[in-house]
Amino acid sequence: MDLGTVLSVILLAPLVAAGLIWILARQRAALAMTLSLGAAATILCLSLWLFFAGWDGSAFEISTEWLTLGSLTLDVGFLLNDLSALMLFIVAFVGFWIHLFSVGYMNDDKARGRFFGGLSIFMFSMLGIVLANNLFMMFIFWELVGFSSYMLIGHYLDTDEAAQASKKAFIVNRVGDFGFLIGIIITYWTFGTVNFNELREVVGTQPQLVTTLMGLLLFCGVLGKSAQMPLHVWLPDAMAGPTPISALIHAATMVAAGVYFLGRSFFLFTEEALHIVAWVGVVTAVSAALWAFAQRDIKKILAYSTLSQLGYMVAGFGLGSLYGLHHGDAHNALYYGIGASMFHLTTHAFFKALLFLGSGSVIHACHHEQDIFKMGGLWKKMPLTTLTFAAGVIAIAGVPFIAAGFFSKDAILYVAMKSSQPAFYLLTGTALLTALYMGRLFFIAFLGKPNSASAEHAHESPWTIVLPLLVLAVFSIGGGYMIMYPVTLQEVMGHWVPHPHGKDHTTMIIISAVASIIGLVLARIIYGAGAATDKVEKTLPPVFAISRSRFYFDEIYGYYVKKVQDRLADVVAFLDTLFISGVLVRGSAAVAGLLGVTARRLHTGSVSTYVWWFFAGLVLFGAYAGGFFDGIIQ
Amino acid sequence: MTTQLPIALLGGIGEFLTSAGHNQPVLNALLLMLAIVVPLVVALALAISGALSERAVKVCGALGFLVPGLISLWLAAVYISAFPFGGYAFEMSADLGLLERFGIQLHLGLNGLALPFYIMAGLVGMAAGFYAIQSGVERLRLYLILLLVMQGGLMGVFSSIDVLFFYFFHEFALIPTFIMIALWGRKGRKAVAIEVTIYLTFGAMITLAGLIALYLFSGAEQFNMIAMREAIVEAPYQGTLFGLLLIGFGVLVSLFPFHTWAPRAYATAPAPAAMLHAGVLKKFGLYGLIQLAYPLLPQGAADWAPLLLWLALGNLLIIGFVTMSQRDLKLMLGNASVMHMGYAFLGLYAYSTVGIGAAIMMLFAHGLSVALLFLLADVVEKRGGTSDFKELGGMGLRAPVLMGLFTAAMLASIGLPGFANFWGELGIFVALFASDTPWVLYLSLIGIIISAVYGLRAVASVFFGEAKGEFKGGDITPAEKAPALLLLISLFVIGLWPKVVSDPVNESVNRSFKDAVPTVTASTDEPTLSE
Amino acid sequence: MIIGLEHYFFVSVLLFAIGFFGVLLRKNTLVVFMCLELMLSASILALIAFSRYHTTPGQGLMEGNIFVLFIIAIAACEVAVGLSIIVALWRRNQTVELSEINELKH
Repeated sequence: MDLGTVLSVILLAPLVAAGLIWILARQRAALAMTLSLGAAATILCLSLWLFFAGWDGSAFEISTEWLTLGSLTLDVGFLLNDLSALMLFIVAFVGFWIHLFSVGYMNDDKARGRFFGGLSIFMFSMLGIVLANNLFMMFIFWELVGFSSYMLIGHYLDTDEAAQASKKAFIVNRVGDFGFLIGIIITYWTFGTVNFNELREVVGTQPQLVTTLMGLLLFCGVLGKSAQMPLHVWLPDAMAGPTPISALIHAATMVAAGVYFLGRSFFLFTEEALHIVAWVGVVTAVSAALWAFAQRDIKKILAYSTLSQLGYMVAGFGLGSLYGLHHGDAHNALYYGIGASMFHLTTHAFFKALLFLGSGSVIHACHHEQDIFKMGGLWKKMPLTTLTFAAGVIAIAGVPFIAAGFFSKDAILYVAMKSSQPAFYLLTGTALLTALYMGRLFFIAFLGKPNSASAEHAHESPWTIVLPLLVLAVFSIGGGYMIMYPVTLQEVMGHWVPHPHGKDHTTMIIISAVASIIGLVLARIIYGAGAATDKVEKTLPPVFAISRSRFYFDEIYGYYVKKVQDRLADVVAFLDTLFISGVLVRGSAAVAGLLGVTARRLHTGSVSTYVWWFFAGLVLFGAYAGGFFDGIIQ
Repeated sequence: MTTQLPIALLGGIGEFLTSAGHNQPVLNALLLMLAIVVPLVVALALAISGALSERAVKVCGALGFLVPGLISLWLAAVYISAFPFGGYAFEMSADLGLLERFGIQLHLGLNGLALPFYIMAGLVGMAAGFYAIQSGVERLRLYLILLLVMQGGLMGVFSSIDVLFFYFFHEFALIPTFIMIALWGRKGRKAVAIEVTIYLTFGAMITLAGLIALYLFSGAEQFNMIAMREAIVEAPYQGTLFGLLLIGFGVLVSLFPFHTWAPRAYATAPAPAAMLHAGVLKKFGLYGLIQLAYPLLPQGAADWAPLLLWLALGNLLIIGFVTMSQRDLKLMLGNASVMHMGYAFLGLYAYSTVGIGAAIMMLFAHGLSVALLFLLADVVEKRGGTSDFKELGGMGLRAPVLMGLFTAAMLASIGLPGFANFWGELGIFVALFASDTPWVLYLSLIGIIISAVYGLRAVASVFFGEAKGEFKGGDITPAEKAPALLLLISLFVIGLWPKVVSDPVNESVNRSFKDAVPTVTASTDEPTLSE
Repeated sequence: MIIGLEHYFFVSVLLFAIGFFGVLLRKNTLVVFMCLELMLSASILALIAFSRYHTTPGQGLMEGNIFVLFIIAIAACEVAVGLSIIVALWRRNQTVELSEINELKH
């Protein structure tokens, strides 16, 4: 089988599944689940075949022209290289386990046909982003992924919360796409092409064409899709969707698409742009970590955690690329940014999906209770879930050596240390905070004693839910070691990630250890196990208030939409009705009417008047005949 | 690979059937004529025949819409496969005696520029006709007669090479709109009907003046597009002529500030009339600009370009905000359709092959999607009893299929990839950056945010949330679903394989504008003019 | 005193003026009508006078007289039609005052 066909099947299988679900299986849940799961399995099997047997690791590209208008040519094609192979692996692997999880989790849902159709459309769109070989094609699938997200967040469509959240997600993403598309068009007209390989060549020969503006506009897309500040507001609200969606789309894959895009287009970023990218990431990471402390809903905590980790990835890209530019002796130095961010993306995909699925297991068992202060004591009722969740917490905290998160965070902290001291301190502090709030979550929800009836009656979830947890837990712990990955992927993971050497090596270990372990211990001390109330809320209200305020972004946006945008729209509509419809149109009708009224007055109905008019006409005619008007009329 | 498959399929059928005998060109030209004649004959038959059963009326009506639709698809297949280099096909002309001295004949034919509009007219006509047939209105016979007359006129507009008949068929198709608004419209119909009649006739008068003046000044012997294109008008008059045509056509296309008739007309009109007018007839103006004004008056176009830029931005941004403030579904859709004309005008403003070609594609897709939206909005109104957002809500669970179709239609209209509208809009954006004023790209892209806001707000208000208000009847019926699916599937097919439409358009634009339009090439320097 | 063309002219103009001002200023429809006829008569008189005084020996100028015959015929028709309209008006409105006949106003 040639690679082109295999990739086409990988891409189109979920689309075919979605189509079949739409035609045949809207009401037949079992068929829908089978089709969707089957597509996911096909994707995973074919991808694994690619990595272990069918692909030799060399870059592969195939493309065909899809649209030509004048000088604009849009191609559709696949580009399979180290980077896209890694992303393909993540999407296929994590995606499959989440499909399996959904089968168990959604078993009492009434609209499973719609759900699994949406899930398959999402896989299609995401794979399109992964395999795209040019910017236009990527943009197309970028929008499609946004659509899938809209559809799936709004799954519980009879709730107001879901309706508003899905709208918000789509619109905020569109704002990001606004900048993104401008950037793509500028890139197109500057270089004459949007194909990644061709762009790289042209940039290689004419690096002066790359401008900071171009890179920043392209970064706007990342702001939207990967929820960086200030376009981060949609992600916490997106938790209104079902938990498997939060896991797949809003943790592991879709939000990571922005980081993936940075990797794909890294050569289009100037140094100034990279500085800005790095700092946006750092600020997002720190702020989101601060905000996670005031959350009670288990999914919201994980959402802010995701925001923070995405900030890490973006910062990693920026700082790593800067590091590579300045210390570019190793031959892979150019790729340090990509390496650091993609490594963290990979490990994050595993442990964040695990954490979300674990929370799903908990929510499912506690009959849709999501407040952590009403849980507690779950370690006795749901041992496997607790164990796997603990693995996830250890991974995200970055405990040395036993956590995949340690290795990836390590790389990012290392490049931060080398590139920018302030960033380094902030990121290390954030690592501490991460361990702290994740520990808070774990200790309150899982340890201690049950705090409510639903927690009392919790029991372990069925195998369709637990098996994915176990698999992901294994990868969360072991994901830092290269042997977990197929050989063909080890290039990116192994050689592109900047590794500290010598004294730096030990320094980093010590720092990570301190941050993670102290964080976890502090969490246990401050919050206690199985608490029913938030101690910080009681003892340090100002600190809690700052955290809960989330810096008022949502309020500012809400104010803007309601007071500014809607009012402006109403004013414009009023002016339009007043001036154009009123003055111009009705006005001209009034003028015509006025002329009519004036002309009517000539019809007096009295014969004498008509005779006088006749006389007047006669006089005029006589004057004309007598040459009176000769000077005036030529 | 996968692009060639549908083209090969269509081409194969076309080849097979066009290669059989050399009589085929005649047959196709005859079909072109039939597409106009059949609806008119059916209308006449319905008008003059005595008592007919409801069933017979419906069957005749269905025939009257089906035939031109199928003919348009057939001719499209033949054109795409047999005429890969653009140019005019299926020509036929008929002498009409005394009009000959003015150079007027009944001259029909299609070229790559007309083809997308022609297909759209056939498809929307079929959808509107089928929807009308099952809609259960009073005096169905008169309703169908008027719609059939509209359909005949529409097929004539886009297949007419002779300019006077182009205009004549447009008036032919326009008059029934006024009557339908007056008789079957929603509340306020009398006033709206009068306003629309006067406004559009005013626009048509200016257009006629411009067309005749163009004919006289171009010095062509015949009043048709082919002859006139050979003779480009000399410089001093180009500005005035282009201005006349721009304003005249602009009124008909609801260019800002001549747009206020459109939202009220579409909101008040019965759905099939709104579908045919907003979807197809409105495109008459832009089609006329592309076929006549731009190729013959390049200097005039350049003179008017700065003004056109601001007017088009007015359409896009000002009417975009007006749309956002609407609280009635049909008024919102009417305003949205005015907003989208802004994109098309911007594509023309960009004045390059990309710009004009993308504008045509966008208009094709817009015709289908706005017709679909008006159809579904009418279904929503029938179910919910009102089209006011404040009183509608939560229909999603009660009518899931309707929700799915409406959401798909709305997403198509706001330019989601996977539907045909995306290609047109993308092309226009790309073209704008290469125009004289690249900054207009930033302003026009705000349009995608505006359209997402009002589109999703509409979907959420009508379908999401708690169930509110009354709900008569069930989910969308198969009879209503069929025309909707026809349009949606067409949008989807072109969304996936845009080449089907874009290749003929591309070739024709290159041909028609060979000296006038710069084909801008992307390079590392400033855009340069090239062949 | 030899009566010359100018005398006939003078009478004709006088008649015409009387008729003219009568049409403009009188209120009774019949009187207006009579004044119209006066104007016609005045023109008839003038024409015959021209005919009579521009006859050269051996060649008469008949045009004026012939024109007069036409005018008389047309006047007769006009009177017939006009008077029937006035009778119809009388039947309708019971009056022939011009100020009362104004139903055709806006």
